[in-house]
Amino acid sequence: MTTPSGEKKRRGWLKEEFGNPERRAAYYMILPALIIVLVVACYPVLYGIVLSFTDSTVTTFGSFIGLENYVEMFQNPDFLEGLSNTLIYTVVSVALEFVIGLGIALAINQAFRGRGLVRAAILVPWAFPTVISAAMWRLMFQDQVGIIQYVANAIGLISEPILSDRTLLLIAAIVVDTWKTMPFMALLLLAGLQTIPGDVYEAARVDGANVMQRFFRITLPLLKGAILVALLFRTLDAYRAYDLFWVLGNRELQSLSTFVYEGVRISQLQFGQGNAAAVFIFVTAFLIALFFIRVLGMRTSVEE
Amino acid sequence: MSAGRKFNRRDFLKMSGAGLAGAALLGSSACGGGSSGGSGNLVFAMGRDTSGTLGPLVEEFNKQNKGGFKVTYRAMPTDSGQYFDKLQTEFQAGQSDIDVIGGDIIWAAQFAANQWVVDLSDRFPKSDQSKYLPAPIQGLTYDGKIWAVPWFTDAGMLFYRKDLLEKSGYSEPPKTWDQLKEMALKTKKDSGLEAGFVFQGDNYEGGVCNGLEYVWTHGGDVLDGDQVIIDSPETVAGLATERSMITDGVSPQAVSTLQETTTDPYFLGNKAVFARIWSYEYALAGTSSYPKVKPDQIGVASLPVGNGGPHANCLGGWNMYISALSDQQDEAWEFVKWMTGEYAEKKRAIDATLLPTLKSLYSDPELRKKVPTVAVADTAIAQAKPRPVSPYYSDMSLKMAEEFNTSLKGDISPEEAAKTLQKELESIQQQAE
Repeated sequence: MTTPSGEKKRRGWLKEEFGNPERRAAYYMILPALIIVLVVACYPVLYGIVLSFTDSTVTTFGSFIGLENYVEMFQNPDFLEGLSNTLIYTVVSVALEFVIGLGIALAINQAFRGRGLVRAAILVPWAFPTVISAAMWRLMFQDQVGIIQYVANAIGLISEPILSDRTLLLIAAIVVDTWKTMPFMALLLLAGLQTIPGDVYEAARVDGANVMQRFFRITLPLLKGAILVALLFRTLDAYRAYDLFWVLGNRELQSLSTFVYEGVRISQLQFGQGNAAAVFIFVTAFLIALFFIRVLGMRTSVEE
Repeated sequence: MSAGRKFNRRDFLKMSGAGLAGAALLGSSACGGGSSGGSGNLVFAMGRDTSGTLGPLVEEFNKQNKGGFKVTYRAMPTDSGQYFDKLQTEFQAGQSDIDVIGGDIIWAAQFAANQWVVDLSDRFPKSDQSKYLPAPIQGLTYDGKIWAVPWFTDAGMLFYRKDLLEKSGYSEPPKTWDQLKEMALKTKKDSGLEAGFVFQGDNYEGGVCNGLEYVWTHGGDVLDGDQVIIDSPETVAGLATERSMITDGVSPQAVSTLQETTTDPYFLGNKAVFARIWSYEYALAGTSSYPKVKPDQIGVASLPVGNGGPHANCLGGWNMYISALSDQQDEAWEFVKWMTGEYAEKKRAIDATLLPTLKSLYSDPELRKKVPTVAVADTAIAQAKPRPVSPYYSDMSLKMAEEFNTSLKGDISPEEAAKTLQKELESIQQQAE
């Protein structure tokens, strides 16, 4: 959108920013911080993108091969498995977390005795580092000492070892993630709930709105901002999941991120595909964020 | 960020202060890395030593070696994969102050092909190599050259409950897989145990060892020179035998999720008649963690074979490599020679119950008495076989782990696993060229 007037405006802006000696000095002073951001954040990202278009290996910088890495990646069954696992996992676990988290947020938003204690208690699963909870749950799913496997066998729910079946493992991963991050969701939503003034509900009640009407007409619309923030955080988090898959699945369960790790760290030959997958995650995660902000109208700052 | 917003001076000062501090940090770390610089000190890297006896052994070398250089032991991750990862990072950066690497046997070809370690052919000629067990030497030879000196070794072996087998009327361990199945089923029934035979069938490096043992003992193999030959009737027969352990009820279904540490509770917890595991299992029996099964109830043998197949126990073990980045390779070699010599290997065997690589030590009466593992494991060790020696072993391993595991679970047939592996390993070989 570089209309002449826009151009002029920009120049005016530049002049305003750099014409003033005090402001100019200010920019010089941010420069070191800016350079560090460029070096430690932008450079690696750009370098990763460049590598994904070459036949580089771990040790040598290769030559430009266009989209070959990407083509091979999309033909690689491991990648496709990781992609489908990640998508199912992200959609299902975020949806579950949202519904349960919202329920919990509504419950603990009510005034009752011991509310502070309950609020602290539900945060316990969230306080576990993911690797630890993944290892812990793996033990519970394990066939010799695992309580879940024992119970599932006892009531005849399943007969095979949970850890040996990929579908069961994916379900397990979704359960563990829901258990772990639902409190986080609840907390974000609770914060949103508390910004809704009580008199709105009072007015609605006077007008004769029932519980459902109050929920759908007042709570949800006013909570939209908090919901979108919570969903975006969780979606991006789940989309990049690595630790849970790696530790709980123990190499058995592929996600996009474990595919990247295998490519760039374990394999000597799939370095290019690993980089391509990393770029793929970066770009698609960016698109997801953009979708939330543009399409769903999430606000990213408080300024109007 | 909106352009109209005004920063105040304090914000700027804060930001630039942080920026400068960051820049200073970057600068110092850039100068801090690498370079051992011939200061007369050698760094010896090795996975964390749980027995606590490696440090003192290195000290002993330092005391004996008054020749002006000192070796320090640096603990690395115990997990072979993580350890390799760490070394790879240092070598890629071309900056490492490690001189001597205590490394896994499967690293030899990868190290060599990347020129991260020194060719030891001149220092460690064939005449000296013949003093060591042949299998580790074979595993450390790549491109006709030798890349490390074997330090201590291990192999997959068959552990069996002597007492239970006797009760069921068997005086000897099984010679073939069919015998094993028959004996396992009968003994399991007689003594009311949960499982007949347990091994490591999970999708990981140990699963590769186990799968390869079935392939090898049925006469199959992975590579012949550079040629991939895994799709053979022998491989199919081997994988079919592995799968039949579950379908015939000899092994629990969960065997496809077992690793070493999850195998122990089965065998040492008095729940299984047979186990395929490494030599450490023997030293663990009767300890406070596993009091139920005592060492005198256990027998150790070479793994059974398929009908007419050769003996083959998957070889493990750790070896002494010299880093190509070291500028004190002669001193490093002095240290390697000492550590892999008779005195140090024997001491290490006694202190840490690790199996030596020097042939002569297996007939050492003192060692056989003090370390029973040496006496029970010598045939299994003598019949050990290294995994394929290839600079792309880690890629091959990923594929084999996956196919062996899915075939064990019955998700694909042995024929399909062999066919898929042939294709995948060939494509790895092609990419490598």
